[in-house]
Parts: sequence; C-alpha cells; structure tokens
Amino acid sequence: MENIIEIKNITKCFPGIIANNNISLEIRRGEIYALLGENGAGKSTLMNLLFGLYEPDSGQIFLRGEPVNISSPAFASSLSIGMVHQHFRLVEEFTIAENIVLGTETIKRFLGILPYVDMKTVSKKISELSKSYGLDVDPDMKVSQASVSVRQRAEILKMLYREAEILIFDEPTAMLAPQEIDYLLQIMKNLREQGKTIILITHKLNEVKHIADRCGILNRGNLVGVYDVADTSVEKMAAYMVGRELEDEKPPSKHDFGEVILDVKNLSVSKQGTSCVNDVSFCVRAGEVFAVAGVDGNGQIELADAIFGLLEATGGSITLLGQDITNAATRERVETGMSYVPEDRHSVGLILDFLLQQNLALRRYYQKPFSKHGILNDSIFESFADGLIDKYDIRCGRGAVTVTRSMSGGNQQKAIVAREIEKDSKLMIFVQPTRGLDIGAIRAIHEHIMNVRAEGHAIFLISMELDEITVLADTIGVMYEGRINRIAPASELTTDEIGEYMMGVKT
Amino acid sequence: MKVKRILRLIVGNEKQQAYTVPLLAILCSLIVSSILLLFMGRNPITAFQSILAGAGVLPRPNYAGGRGMFTDIMMTLSELTPMIFASLAVTVAFKGGLFNIGISGQMLFSGFIATVLIGYSELPSYIAMPLVIIIGTLCGAFIGALIGLLKAKFNINEVVSSIMLNYIIMYIISFFIQTRFIDPITRQSVEINSSARLVLQNVQVGPYRAVIPFFIILAIAAAFALRFFLNRTRAGFDLRAVGLNSRAARYLGIKPQLNIMVAMIISGALAGLAGVTHYLGFQGAMPTRELVGTGFDAIAVALLGNVSPIGSLFASVLITIISRGTTYMSSILDVQREIAQVITGFILLFSACGAFIKQVVNTSDVVTAEPEADDVPTEEGE
Repeated sequence: MENIIEIKNITKCFPGIIANNNISLEIRRGEIYALLGENGAGKSTLMNLLFGLYEPDSGQIFLRGEPVNISSPAFASSLSIGMVHQHFRLVEEFTIAENIVLGTETIKRFLGILPYVDMKTVSKKISELSKSYGLDVDPDMKVSQASVSVRQRAEILKMLYREAEILIFDEPTAMLAPQEIDYLLQIMKNLREQGKTIILITHKLNEVKHIADRCGILNRGNLVGVYDVADTSVEKMAAYMVGRELEDEKPPSKHDFGEVILDVKNLSVSKQGTSCVNDVSFCVRAGEVFAVAGVDGNGQIELADAIFGLLEATGGSITLLGQDITNAATRERVETGMSYVPEDRHSVGLILDFLLQQNLALRRYYQKPFSKHGILNDSIFESFADGLIDKYDIRCGRGAVTVTRSMSGGNQQKAIVAREIEKDSKLMIFVQPTRGLDIGAIRAIHEHIMNVRAEGHAIFLISMELDEITVLADTIGVMYEGRINRIAPASELTTDEIGEYMMGVKT
Repeated sequence: MKVKRILRLIVGNEKQQAYTVPLLAILCSLIVSSILLLFMGRNPITAFQSILAGAGVLPRPNYAGGRGMFTDIMMTLSELTPMIFASLAVTVAFKGGLFNIGISGQMLFSGFIATVLIGYSELPSYIAMPLVIIIGTLCGAFIGALIGLLKAKFNINEVVSSIMLNYIIMYIISFFIQTRFIDPITRQSVEINSSARLVLQNVQVGPYRAVIPFFIILAIAAAFALRFFLNRTRAGFDLRAVGLNSRAARYLGIKPQLNIMVAMIISGALAGLAGVTHYLGFQGAMPTRELVGTGFDAIAVALLGNVSPIGSLFASVLITIISRGTTYMSSILDVQREIAQVITGFILLFSACGAFIKQVVNTSDVVTAEPEADDVPTEEGE
C-alpha cells in the first residue's frame, strides 16, 4: 500500500524541551494509525505540525509523495487534512448544517441579485454523507441542544464535507459513554472502508487494540517504535509507552466499612435557576470509595459542589460526622473534616500565579504555625512544601518557590491531591482526579486514593471514566439527569449495566 | 521566534522582569522622545537635563531671589506625596482584582470635607494636621466602601460606579464651593488656613525659601506598610487570592465579597490621603468643576511600577519629576509644554507594552515547554 504521509526526520524544539526528536513515520493510505504516548510525549506537537499549527525546526513532511510546507490549518485543509479537536470548534447557536458549511458556504443569488446561502443543497449533501458513513445526525438541530457525541459526529461531518482524506482524531473518546465509544469506533471503521486515512491520538490502549492497524508509540519526544497492533499485546504497548512494565490495577479488595461519615438525604440543587440535582440520597462510610458514574453534565459536579458548600442546597440535608452542615460555610465544612479535589484544577483548584509553596498551604495558611496573629511565616510554608514535594513526587523547576503556572498539568494535579490529602479530613471528595493526565500520574493518584481508603477515610469519587471507577470503587452510584438511579456494590454491576444507567436506558 | 528569544535574553526570567521590563520601557520611550525632539531640531540631552533641572534634581544655571535647587526639589516632593498615595490606592485595588478609576473623586471628596471641617478653622496646627489626615482617610475609605458595597452586594462593576461617583462628587462639591466658599479673584475656594496645611510654607533654609512637605515620609511608610500587608499578612494573602482567582478563593473558603470590601476600603483610604496631601498640601485651595489628573495618572504609574507598592513608589518619582520639569524645559527649549506630556505618554505606552512583552515571553515559555500540559483548558477560556 502506498504511503499517504511521510514524516522524515522531524525535529521540533521548544525552549528547554525537545518535543519531537528526529521522528520519521509513514502512514499508509486507508489505515487507522494510532499515535500513542503519555502527556508531554510529543504526539499533539507532531499532529499540530501536520495540521499547520507549528512549523518544524528541521525535517520534511511529504504528502502523497510530494514535499509540502504546511504553514496554516487553512492550507492543511486545502490538502484535505482534517482534525477533530478534543474540544469541539462549533458555534452553539447555529444548527449542525450551518456549522458544517461555515466558511465554505455556496452563495446563490435570489433573483440574480440578493446573495443567500443555499442550505437546501447543503442539507441534501449532509444527509448523503451521513448515510454513506453511518453518521446519524439531524442537520437542522441546534448545536446547543446536541449531546457531546452528536457534536462529535458533526465535527466529523464537517471534515467529510470539506472532502478530507486524512482525518486526525485528538482523544476522541475522552468524553463519551461506553456505548457511544463503540458507535464512534464503528464510524471510524466505516471511514476506513471508504478509503479514508485515520490518525488516532489517544492513550486508551483498548481502543487502539480494537480498531487500529498500526500504532506509533512516542515517549518523551522520541519515537519508540511502530508496531502492528494485531501482534502486540496491550501490556506491551503500555510498557513501551511509559518506558517500563506496569502491573495491572486490580479492583479494591473487600473489607468492612466503618461508621457513616457523609449522609446525604433528598438533596436537590439548582444552578442559575435550572435544577441539576434532584432528590439524591446516599451515604459514604469510613474506608469506602463511593463512586458516581455518569456522562458529563448530569449533575455530578453540582452534587459535589453542593456537598462542599460552593452551591446552595435547595432541598434536603447533608450530614458530615453527625453534624448537619447543609448551610455551613465552606471553610467550616473543611474544618469539620472535608477535602475536595475539584474538577477544574486551573480555575478552581489552584491560584496559578501563586508560588507552589503557597498553593500547597492553601488549606492551612490561616492556622498556626503558618499564620500567627495574622502574620504569615514564609519559612514554615517552605518547609511544609518541601515535605509534600518529596512525599508526592511533585516535579517543579525551582522547588517550593516555583510559580505554579509554569508546572505541567500532572504535577499541578499532584500538588492539589497532596494538599487535600494532607489535610487528613475524614471525607475526601475527588472530582475527575485524573482527567487529562498520563498513565504514570494516574497510577500515582490512584495509589494515593487507595492509601487513604486503607487508612479509613471515606472517599467520594466522581469520574467520567468507567475504567477509573472500576479499579477504585467499592460502591457505585450511577447518575442520570440529576438523579442517582442505581446504587450498588461495585461487584454487582457490569460495565454494560453501568453504561445503560448512564445513558438513561435503564432507570 | 527569534524576536522572542532576543526579548527573553534582554528581560531575563520572571523575577528579573519586575525591574527589567519597566527599565526597558523607560529606555525605549527616551529613545523615541529623542527622535521626536531631534525632528523638532532640539537637542534631546538638553531637554532631559532641563526636565531634571526644572524638577530640582539638577541645578539650573540661575535662580530668582530666595529660590534654589532646594526650593524646586521641595516642590517636586510636595507634588510627589499625593502621587505616591494615589498609585498605592490603584495598586491595592488591582491586587484585589478591582480597578479603582475613581481616585480623583475620592481625593476631591476627602479634600473638600477636610477643608470645610478643619481647613477654615482656627485650630492650632498640631491638632489640625492629624485631624486632616484622619478625616481624609475616613472620607476616602467611605467612598471606597460605597463602591465596594455596590460591587459585593449587587455586583455593580466598580469601574462604572467609580466613574459615576467622580462626576457626582465633582458637581456637588463645585456647587458648595461656588455658593459658600468661593474666592472671587482666584475662582477657587478661599485659601486654606496655613495651620491646617500639610506642608510647611515659606520655610527659610539657609539662603532659600521653600515648602517642606514632610508628609512624604508618611507616603513612603505607607508603601512599605502596604507591601508588608500584601506579602506577609493573612488578610493580604486572602486579598491577593481573591484578586487572582475568585473562584479558587471561594473554593478555599475565602469570602470574595468581604475581600472586595477590604480592598476598596484600603484603596479609598489611600486615595483620601492623596486627596488631603494634594488639596491641603500642594494646592492650598479647592478648585471648582475640576478633577485632579493625579488620580488618573496614578493608574498608569501603578502599571509602570509593576502593580507593586515599592514599584509604584519609584514610578511616582519618575513621573512626578517629568511633570514638574515640564515648564522649565519648555521655556529653555522653546517647545510646547505638551512635549513633556508626550514623553510621559511614551513611557506609559511602552510600559503598557511591557505587560504585553511579559506575556509574550512568559506564555511562550509555558505553552511550548509543556505543549501537552494543558489538555484541559479552563472553562473561562472558551
């Protein structure tokens, strides 16, 4: 089979780091090529080079045998390269059809004078495309009303409408439920059958195993190797990816739970006038990991925010260690015994312009010995931070006085986890604790969670990743449209069953 | 890419940038102003020398009787005092994430109340002066609290409310001055009694007569006190946390509303001090229908000073010297007075660019050094 893309000796440096070191790849026409690697391995940089967002320092890209200098995304698009970004580029207030034609509208003239966009032909072309690739969308639906998976299909159609031959998918399954993932993978197979070339950026090995033909594995900017997926085990791929063998994570072993730490009864929460959490009741016991599964946007985040006091409860009660905290202030809840690792580490979990030592002390700075009579003691901040940096393996350029903004996402998250665990609260809430992190960092955070579980803390976990829930949870609650529809011990639920509850098929 | 690399070489790392960037801005503006002056056929060196001489930093070739370099420098210092207070007022509001553009109004209000209550009384100066200071502080804090309250309670943008208050204060006070306290000759208020003035007037020092603005010491002390407050106290930590990221602050259990109030009260109090040191110090009378430019210049000064208390102190010195030296420079070079404002304008323009330079240099560092660190953009960014 001929090579549609050849990347020859590409090197791309950024100050202080070599993102791509002398990488050569060939991608064949009509294959699904997976690009595997941890965060920071250089796979996004490589694809951004291909999509015209960066230019290489040295090396050459050949497209269909011709050397090309891809200088902009628009040019990449004219070379029929398309990319589905992890975060969609869609105009919320437009319909799907309008989004698809945006920028390539065919203008017709009414009575030969007044210009207008010919949406009829567009709709026809879109339905033809969606039929031939098995992409089910309603072209006249507004994007704001579309679910994540429909939006993704709209993005794929957008590329196909522009007659893209090479389709790059950046972490396409990150936000999808299991059934939606299967559907997407089926779409990719259809695309391959129709002769499209697909490059899949991911760190989910099972998906690679499932659909990819070959995979290139990157580690710290270097190409480790290119493997035929059929002859390479998932374990091998993982080992190549992180540069060492990883043991499988096992679900938590059974043990007895202690007293009830958090008791939520009939809790309802509204945000900006719309009800997000509806009559939810559950309890978390000492030594238990209670995980809430659900597709993003079904009220999980609001539930956690309400327990922590960031959103007001409109009904019901929250009891922590026997104390009614339904209307308590956030800091009061923290002092009663609650920690919280928020979903959004940049705009909630950290103050990025503060030093690492300040961020690490954010749960303690107002107490002795950090603050005496309102005066802060910098040396206590520093020694406290040094301890945590060591214990939690937080990598930072200048130690305790590193500006937090300059650290990598994984290390920022480690800093938050370290801070919240060190508070030694009876209840620890983790919301999406490993989102966007690489395997090494994910394993480290999972280990910390299992450690605090063993120490008898109660853990309330919210995750959109089923894999994460299955390796951590003792008890699973599945949330759909603001309600927890099913609560059961993890051992009694299969992944498919959880998926059905997540999608609202079963209630 | 090359430009970035060179810039990074010049301005250094984030810590060094605190002073390299403002210095670079000043240097650039001097170069551009020199070119401008050369185009006008004037010698830039003479121009800068005469600015310094006019401000009393360098000696002039000749002086009128009883005047000297000492006289000039004391005048500069008495104009500097309110500028320091005003730029500190801007700084503390900025640190709390607020933009206090109403400093002029707060200055006018506190100056007026202090004038009316104390300025025309017969109190001896050792009672009058402390009272003026206290009244000025309280009046400024009151207006600051009002703006803060509107923001904290009703989420009314502080920029809008403080601009509105500027005009409300200015016209109401003009009304009272014009109906009650007007001096028909100067078209200002009646001159403030010297016992209540915050500068000592007509002091004979050696051969020279000068004003002695000893409250400059209070202004410098305020800069250091503010630095201590922001960097070393728990309350200052809370305030900065709210200013940098109010969502994170809420999550940490810090109350943003409370800290908005604190920031605005401190900012207002400092603006009040600027007001009394301006109207009852430097100026000596209340004008009608006029907001003092100091309150607006202070915003730029604080930016030039890197929004830090000590930076503001140095930036105030620089800007005040230029504005004081203007008159003399224009008479020496026979150019319009406005040229000095153009130079000041260049400095501020370049210092605004400085923020941009910093952003370019630093973001490229972060984004490119960790190209995949930010897989999850913040919701605010989208």
